[in-house]
Amino acid sequence: MTKTIFIDARYTGEISLNEDITEFIKETKIKSIALFASVQFLNLKKVESQLVELGIKVNITKAKRAAEKIQILGCDVYGNSFKDKIIEKSDLILYIGDGEFHAKALLISQIYSGNVKDVIVYNPVSGKMKVMGIQDVEVIINKLRSNLRKFVNSSKVGIIVSTKPGQSYLELAEKLKKQLEKQGKKIFVFVDDNINLSCLEDFNFIEVWVNSACPRIGFDDLTSTNSVVVNVKEAFEPLVYLEKLEKLKV
Amino acid sequence: MYNLDLDRVVGEIRKNKAKKVLIQLPDGLKPRAETIVDYVEKHTKSRVFLWLGSCYGGCDIPNTGLLKFDLIIQFGHNKFVKEEL
Repeated sequence: MTKTIFIDARYTGEISLNEDITEFIKETKIKSIALFASVQFLNLKKVESQLVELGIKVNITKAKRAAEKIQILGCDVYGNSFKDKIIEKSDLILYIGDGEFHAKALLISQIYSGNVKDVIVYNPVSGKMKVMGIQDVEVIINKLRSNLRKFVNSSKVGIIVSTKPGQSYLELAEKLKKQLEKQGKKIFVFVDDNINLSCLEDFNFIEVWVNSACPRIGFDDLTSTNSVVVNVKEAFEPLVYLEKLEKLKV
Repeated sequence: MYNLDLDRVVGEIRKNKAKKVLIQLPDGLKPRAETIVDYVEKHTKSRVFLWLGSCYGGCDIPNTGLLKFDLIIQFGHNKFVKEEL
């Protein structure tokens, strides 16, 4: 395989919390925060000391697939994506970055835990903050619940395998195929590079699709396709995940 | 605003003696492609190519075996640790 080098393109400005966000944090009277950031914004010594000055305990962890502590990836959408359960231990979550994609991952990562804590999203470039909560993923949760039910009752299933090395799980797909065949389902395995959900509609005999590539496909993209899609993780034990969703406080 | 670390890019190309280099950029950095290509071509003898498609993360390295690039340089992310599911 071709050698690959990463240039993480760090933000060159100073990262600190402005008055809007420090006042907001004071008003919430919280005692602890789980701190996350995207890779461009990991120089957070100033932010950490500001939070400590506010009397906030700062909890940090390392996402298992990330290279550095505090860093969150877009694919960190399950509770066990992180080495420590700092979200459960913290009153609120603070995400530092210039978009909402990673903040949304932090919300999705909580949907099987019974309770989704808010995420304060702070953009140090614009100085703007916003609070994201369960309302920002509710439409995903509803579609996911419906898709899991359809999957349980389906008879013809397509499993999607990506050729991207970092997202390729062919052996896992074959393991799932065997498990589902034992349950009486007919399984087809599909291979593609960039997964384009509009391609699924051509195979109109498939009732439900299982995505083994980027897990965001099985969350964010559910609302933009007519095809029924679930992620491979849920496909191994759909009833367990359905039960967890039923317990979620909405 | 974001450090493209172009001296490191050039250093890596030289260190690896890369003659064919593929640059991969996330959407937010795609407008900087011209700057990057110009700099690399000015400071190395490598042939520089740009990946047109997605760049969602360290998990999303192009599968370019047939084209035989010596080096892929992905911007905007860092090393991805693939999880065994």
